Amino acid sequence: MKFRKKLGGRVVVPVALGVAASVGGMALFSQGAVAATSTGSSSARGANSITYGGTLGAGSAPVTNVKLDPATIALGKTLFVENCSSCHGDAASGTSRAPNLQGLGAATIDFWVSTGRMPLADPTVQATVKPSRFTRQQTLAIDAYVSSLASGGPKIPQVNLGSASISAGEGLFSTNCAACHTITGVGDALAGGVYAPSLYPATTTQVAEAIRTGPGNMPRFGTGNLSDQQVADIVKYVKYLQHPNNAGGIGLGHVGPVTEGFVGILIGLGSLMIAGYWIGGRAH
Amino acid sequence: MNYKPIDWVDERLGTAKFTRKSLNKIFPDHWSFMLGEIAMYSFFILLATGVFLTFFFVPSSADTVYHGSYAPMDGHVVSQAYASTLNLSFSVRAGLVMRQMHHWAANVFIAAIVVHLLRVFFTGAFRKPREINWLVGSLLLMMAIFEGFLGYSLPDDLISGTGIRIAYSITLSIPVVGSYLASFLFGGQFPGNTIIPRFYTIHILLIPALMAGLLGAHLAIMWHQKHTQYKGKGKTEKNVVGIAMWPAYAMQAGGFFFLTASVLAALGGLVQINPIWLYGPYIPYKVSYAVQPDWYMGWLDGALRLFPSWEITGFGHMIPTVFFPAVLLPGVTFGLLMAWPWIERIFTKDTAAHNLLDNPRDNPWRTSIGVGVMAFYMVLFFASSTDVLANTFEVSLNFVLWAFRVLVFVIPPVAALVAHKLAVEAGSVQSAGRPRKAMVVSRSKEGEYTTEESDPRPELEFKRHAMHGDIAQSLPEESRLHGEAIEAADDGEDYAFSGSSIAAVLAEEIGERPSGGSGVYEVPRGAPGSGGGMFSPRGPSQSKEVSDSEDEK
Repeated sequence: MKFRKKLGGRVVVPVALGVAASVGGMALFSQGAVAATSTGSSSARGANSITYGGTLGAGSAPVTNVKLDPATIALGKTLFVENCSSCHGDAASGTSRAPNLQGLGAATIDFWVSTGRMPLADPTVQATVKPSRFTRQQTLAIDAYVSSLASGGPKIPQVNLGSASISAGEGLFSTNCAACHTITGVGDALAGGVYAPSLYPATTTQVAEAIRTGPGNMPRFGTGNLSDQQVADIVKYVKYLQHPNNAGGIGLGHVGPVTEGFVGILIGLGSLMIAGYWIGGRAH
Repeated sequence: MNYKPIDWVDERLGTAKFTRKSLNKIFPDHWSFMLGEIAMYSFFILLATGVFLTFFFVPSSADTVYHGSYAPMDGHVVSQAYASTLNLSFSVRAGLVMRQMHHWAANVFIAAIVVHLLRVFFTGAFRKPREINWLVGSLLLMMAIFEGFLGYSLPDDLISGTGIRIAYSITLSIPVVGSYLASFLFGGQFPGNTIIPRFYTIHILLIPALMAGLLGAHLAIMWHQKHTQYKGKGKTEKNVVGIAMWPAYAMQAGGFFFLTASVLAALGGLVQINPIWLYGPYIPYKVSYAVQPDWYMGWLDGALRLFPSWEITGFGHMIPTVFFPAVLLPGVTFGLLMAWPWIERIFTKDTAAHNLLDNPRDNPWRTSIGVGVMAFYMVLFFASSTDVLANTFEVSLNFVLWAFRVLVFVIPPVAALVAHKLAVEAGSVQSAGRPRKAMVVSRSKEGEYTTEESDPRPELEFKRHAMHGDIAQSLPEESRLHGEAIEAADDGEDYAFSGSSIAAVLAEEIGERPSGGSGVYEVPRGAPGSGGGMFSPRGPSQSKEVSDSEDEK
């Protein structure tokens, strides 16, 4: 009995815990396995079930344009003069501080305003995403006002994801987008203080607008580079990346081996070192 | 209980004597001696999960059209290696958890090796007579890193493919032989179709076999030389104080194996690692920004990032820039690592054998050099995530890069200096390394409490050469090899298995022997080469001779 007493605290308990944890882990695996085997179909379902809040039904063109209401131009002008004109000028024709917006198209204006990048807090650094200052109606009014000043430029795209292919989207995304936004879309720092932003907060319209207008350092992909169908495919894949199939468990931010290394060293090895400290001898 | 099968084996192989001695082997018990165990148990998990993975992985670069259950990749032309990894992850029951356990185990494996190495370094455990094991351990670390790289390259995904591309360029950069080496390894130009099958053979056959052999040698040498121990009461260069292999150490080690397995299983089941389905197949013209290797390659990647793009010429030829951070640096790193026991000897002139470990504060110079070198590789390690750091902290990537270029020279000497000062300070403290005095609170009859510092703590009682009879009697069936033998030892008579072949063997070949059990034991340590070998007994008579002969020296 002395044997059990002596060992009880230090050895038997860890063994029991280890076994229990292993069994618990196994239970989790089998769930994981079931999840894994069913993920393919569920991800397909998930992809197909991504709904778009627009008014377009399936079967229509992959990308259509939002029709701006001419009646909102007056409201848009008011908002523009209040919030934008101090840099861009009353007629959006640009000043020494900011570029001419005439002829850039509604999509450009809509992207910068709806993502909260405009109005700009600090013109010396890259515009950052922040909560938009305007409602959707107000934003559309500003778009209507600026695009009424001059013709040209891409119109606000409305993407029909129903006919888009997530598989084609993956191929196009990895070819055209991953080199800056990373293959998981999480974004990263580029040279010279510039960065490719995370795609996770973007809406379908914003992704399509970014592709077509090329905001900031991003190249512009016109219809000669990517067809409307291809844009819809990419948008569908980006929407998937925002909630990807994390069959393996906690996603760790999708930044790859950096977080994995920290988890492996700090949690994996760290917990085992604590366990060793627990069951091993200490200083005599 | 029927002992006939045991006797049958023993009469043919003589296992009783070996088993008896092994079960009685004394291991010093300290938590820091268990770091290497984490690595070993992770290695076992790697072997087990790796075997499972080989059942489903197809090591081929041949194109195939993927039509599995992962919809975003449907219809893509991918390599069979990539397709089979997708199937392994999504269509094989428990396949993903096995893959993830394998990957996490690799990360923990190498981390445990590094921490184990640091323990051995800072306590001076590599000194004579253990230089060979230092070399073996260093080789194991090198192989583990290479093995890890090969392993995560096998799925042929976009991220690891970029890593192979870098490895190709590094091989090319070696002067004179580089282009030949790269051509031999890749079977021609990058990427070719041979690299995945070749990596596979090296990953699952060549290196694991070498590592298993080296690990066996590592353990056998440790067993033979007996474990080091920290300084402390009753511990000398000539004895081993610790717990017996059976049952105490075996229980502890067995429990620790299960703990390691459970931590790795929990990580594998709960935390996603290397989601290759999000990365897509490797296609040479595609690239993902922000590619890091797994953590143990981080210092090499960091060195590649920090090294300026100088065009260095030698013998009339330009030596490619990557040669210096990616070939020369690891070469020098492992060269110095393996040579360290001899480098240190040049300065210390210490040729004596050491079984008692240094406390890091005992040797400020070694400690400060170790900390400085560690700091250097830590800076390189963090430099491999310059882009992630720049993005996370919203600073310019160029600033981060230049900051690391400065820090890589500034931090190591500062860290070494601080470590040296701390070691000297700690060493000069009077009570350093001494056990704290016990505070005894006593109450008088009148109810008055007094607190007294006791004299040095009561000495740890080591059991020498004999077990308590009560343990033996209370566990008669626990182990025949220790239970009854103990009783005989206490009686001072011959082994009391009349008519038993095991007893006869034990009495004739081993003589009176202490036996295993729980508790802390002290046994003499035969100096290497003086007869205290792997299988030599530790009985009182033999040990007496050993210690006598050592005294004469």
